[in-house]
Amino acid sequence: MIKNYLKIAWRNLWKYKGFSAINVGGLALGLSCFILIALYIADELSYDRYNEKADRIFRINSDIRFGGTDLIMAVSADPMGATLKKDYPQVEEYTRFYNSDGAKLIKNGYEYIPEGRVTHADSTLFKVFTLPSILGNTATALNDPNTVVITESAARKYFGSVSNALGNTLETDEENGLYKVTAIIKDVPHNSHFNYDFFFSMDNVDYNFGNFLSHNFHTYIVLKPGEDYKEFSKKFPEVIDKYVLPQAKEYMNIASMADFERSGNNLEYSLTPLTDIHLHSSRSVEMGVNGNIQYVYIFAAAALFILLIACINFMNLSTARSAGRAKEVGMRKVLGTEKKALVGQFLLESTLMACFAMFLAIGITWLTMSWFNTIAGKEMVIGTLLQTPYLLVLILLPFLVGGLAGVYPAFFLSSFQPVIVLKGKQNATVKKSNFRNILVIFQFTTSIILVIGTVIIYQQLHHIQTSKIGFDKEQVLVVDNPGLNWEKRESIKNEIGKLSDVKSASFAGFLPVENSSRTDNTFSTEAVANTDNAFNMQNWSIDYNYIPTLGMEIIKGRNFSPDFGTDSTAIIINETTANLLEPEDPIGKKLYSRDESGLTQEYSIIGVVKNFNYESLRKNIGPLSFRLRNNSWASAYRINATDIKSLLQTIEATYKDYAPGMPFNYQFLDEAFDNMYRQEQRVGKVAFSFAVLAIVIACLGLFGLATYMAEQRTREIGIRKVLGASATNVVSMLSVDFLRLVLFSFVIAAPVAWWIMHKWLEDFAFRISMGWWIFIVTGALALILALLTVSYQALKAANANPVKSLRTE
Amino acid sequence: MSQNYWKISLYINYKPNQIMIQITNLKKSFRTEEVETLALNKVNMNIAEGEFAAIMGPSGCGKSTLLNIIGMLDNPTEGSYRFAGHEVGGLKERQRTELRKGNLGFVFQSFNLIDELTVFENVELPLIYLKMSKNERREKVTKVLERMKIAHRAKHFPHQLSGGQQQRVAIARAVVTKPKLILADEPTGNLDSKNGTEVMNLLTELNQEGTTIVMVTHSDHDSNYAHRVINLFDGQIVTESQNRAMGAMV
Repeated sequence: MIKNYLKIAWRNLWKYKGFSAINVGGLALGLSCFILIALYIADELSYDRYNEKADRIFRINSDIRFGGTDLIMAVSADPMGATLKKDYPQVEEYTRFYNSDGAKLIKNGYEYIPEGRVTHADSTLFKVFTLPSILGNTATALNDPNTVVITESAARKYFGSVSNALGNTLETDEENGLYKVTAIIKDVPHNSHFNYDFFFSMDNVDYNFGNFLSHNFHTYIVLKPGEDYKEFSKKFPEVIDKYVLPQAKEYMNIASMADFERSGNNLEYSLTPLTDIHLHSSRSVEMGVNGNIQYVYIFAAAALFILLIACINFMNLSTARSAGRAKEVGMRKVLGTEKKALVGQFLLESTLMACFAMFLAIGITWLTMSWFNTIAGKEMVIGTLLQTPYLLVLILLPFLVGGLAGVYPAFFLSSFQPVIVLKGKQNATVKKSNFRNILVIFQFTTSIILVIGTVIIYQQLHHIQTSKIGFDKEQVLVVDNPGLNWEKRESIKNEIGKLSDVKSASFAGFLPVENSSRTDNTFSTEAVANTDNAFNMQNWSIDYNYIPTLGMEIIKGRNFSPDFGTDSTAIIINETTANLLEPEDPIGKKLYSRDESGLTQEYSIIGVVKNFNYESLRKNIGPLSFRLRNNSWASAYRINATDIKSLLQTIEATYKDYAPGMPFNYQFLDEAFDNMYRQEQRVGKVAFSFAVLAIVIACLGLFGLATYMAEQRTREIGIRKVLGASATNVVSMLSVDFLRLVLFSFVIAAPVAWWIMHKWLEDFAFRISMGWWIFIVTGALALILALLTVSYQALKAANANPVKSLRTE
Repeated sequence: MSQNYWKISLYINYKPNQIMIQITNLKKSFRTEEVETLALNKVNMNIAEGEFAAIMGPSGCGKSTLLNIIGMLDNPTEGSYRFAGHEVGGLKERQRTELRKGNLGFVFQSFNLIDELTVFENVELPLIYLKMSKNERREKVTKVLERMKIAHRAKHFPHQLSGGQQQRVAIARAVVTKPKLILADEPTGNLDSKNGTEVMNLLTELNQEGTTIVMVTHSDHDSNYAHRVINLFDGQIVTESQNRAMGAMV
């Protein structure tokens, strides 16, 4: 019997090739999309879980509010880890990373190579994180100064092989820059929230250790088994009282924490579970670009919806075809087939089709994997699907989908009454179903939400790229200065500044893009700082040309100038700071701050710079100031060149003249700016792909339903035509029903999309307002697409010969 | 082209005893992938205005095909079909639709009422396609339903009616536009004898009021209502006979 079923199933598939292609193709697209997103989500959720103690490792965070400025940081004070281990038996171990110095130049042969994946780490690193050693003993590898542990990739890059690396020396451009390679570890897994290739000894960090008021270390603790981290977090106030407050009293005239808090200030420490860092943490000074749990939820919902849409299509299309098989069902029943067997037959057919679709889906996934990796910024491989849990899903999914998609047509077909179907009257009893309408509404609602979401994401990204950010990011070349003394850097800058294609040149240690240098100092409006007159403010060191080179605007007062001998004690503030000092005119006012030696210095405000976004547009613009000081690790050049390539060659040649063997690293400011929104750009691209896919699948479904409806209404169309209905009458009659469904979907989708995107936009301090036209255009687009999809079948039905549909003989 | 069929439409102003339908050497064949079937072969016939003609013959002899061509639902493969003196055999679908509207009424064996529409709405449908105003439609539909003695069922759906009632609604729908020609395809085929007689009496009444009727039937009883009986066999007219006993049946 099964052979007979298979034969019938195959012949039905083959007889209606176009229909089968749409049905299997649509399901395959949906399944493929589901597999890709599932892999994506599994990858996002897997972050840091490779660590054996993953459930017991916690990062210490610092939340500081001081002088109206909030600092929400992923770092804490250097003694914090050791103090917790010493005072609290719940703490099994701690380790710290220090990477405030940024990239290191590492010598490879005769050339220095800039390496960004570098950090200093405590010797306890390997007791906390699971980073398996290939060669060398990681337990003692970082015990001594001038030691380094490198990954397998770094070993191959610098020493040709892992075995050559052990015991060999790495040279950096620092003073005392020779490091002995004491262990080689496997590469840090890609799904780790940190990705370093070089772990230098913490003993080489030049730092004023023991300071509870500076927060520069990524610190992790391991709690003993059974300890509750939330409970342990309650110990932090004790730590603050015992260790932080005495230092605060000494340096900042803070009498007590209560006094500190009464003035609107706050200091809190908290713990983030290691496995929450990637998706739940977006603090300042994270170790890399983290993911976002919101996007995981959105993608998970999108994956499920797309799979559902595909299943719905499968159901709709199968039902659409079923009317044509009424006679077969009738005959089988007359010949003695039981309903159970018929249900089995149709379920078998749908499962077979789903299996076929799954094979196709795996093919599509394989073909689109690298494209998806590019847009999603992932390194997923198709081979992952061979792991047991994925394999199980791949095997079970067609049965589930086949069953789910086949169950309705199976029961629907097998319930045909033989007497009725053999008389050719089955149609009259099957067309009054609201179920399919609800399915279409569901499909279009989802698609419209996705399209509106995508348009708004792109609009926001466009807004970010084109909005007035207070500086001119176009045509600014930023070049890292090599390890030379200040005078030589000055000479390079001046020489390049004279080129005809270079409009102006300045040092640019601080830049208004994320991951550039930042210095945060406490300033006060009176010489003696207290909680009422003090506030935290960014304090950037710039030169005379910085403001014009970056295209910033002085709105009050003046820029630094060599004509004024007193500018070394002058300060320029931004609008936010000026507003803090209101109602007084800030020009000429004094600000006070302690310098590196602890002495209070007086600064005179000489100008106010127009507010510019120096961090992501997600954040508000905080207080910021400029001082005339040398900071020359990079230079910025405002260029006006048509032949950028040859200008770059000229600039590189100049650098190489001064610093042979040193790398020439440059980037354009607008690119660095765009990098801040890479995650949003990825989300935009992924959402766009899903939206297109959802629309395509929904239209396939609509096409199927239109086929079905046209088939169901053949007789009615025939009668109407006999009574004088024109083709236009028939097309509009058939289309109006569907357009009504799409319109209804739009009415549901618009407020839902508005709510979701409103939530998303709340993350941005600088955001677009959602224009009503986006909703109208998307609605119109959905209507037009639906109309085009339905028109084909409607026109076909309208132009059919009514005689055929009314033939009763 | 559009002017052309509008002209034809205007020409259909009948004169008494004029030939309404003139069919000459008409052929109709159906082609499937491999086989060509000749449904009508060199059919010649005339039907005068006001005539009641019955077409008879065994199943598959081409009766319904001929009726569909007369009703302009289908085109002949060869030959001429003149309606009210004008060639309509080669008209395109749109032209045929325009010509059908208001001029021709159809009655089918299986009634062919639209299940989703009420009795009133079913009858109203041809008037909507004639773009008649709502008031005018209401007036005409009410009148015809009363005449067919089905007005009390106006708000019912077809499945709530008996077969006889459904066929009366179908006839009401066919005559609501006051067509000059009614084409009936086995109008009593799905009815019991009592309801069948009622339907035949209605058709006879309409014919006596001047409507031309062409009816396909298997039933000798029903054919007795017609003025003339045309017998088809294998797509050809084999006999034609005038019916003298008609008066006795009414």
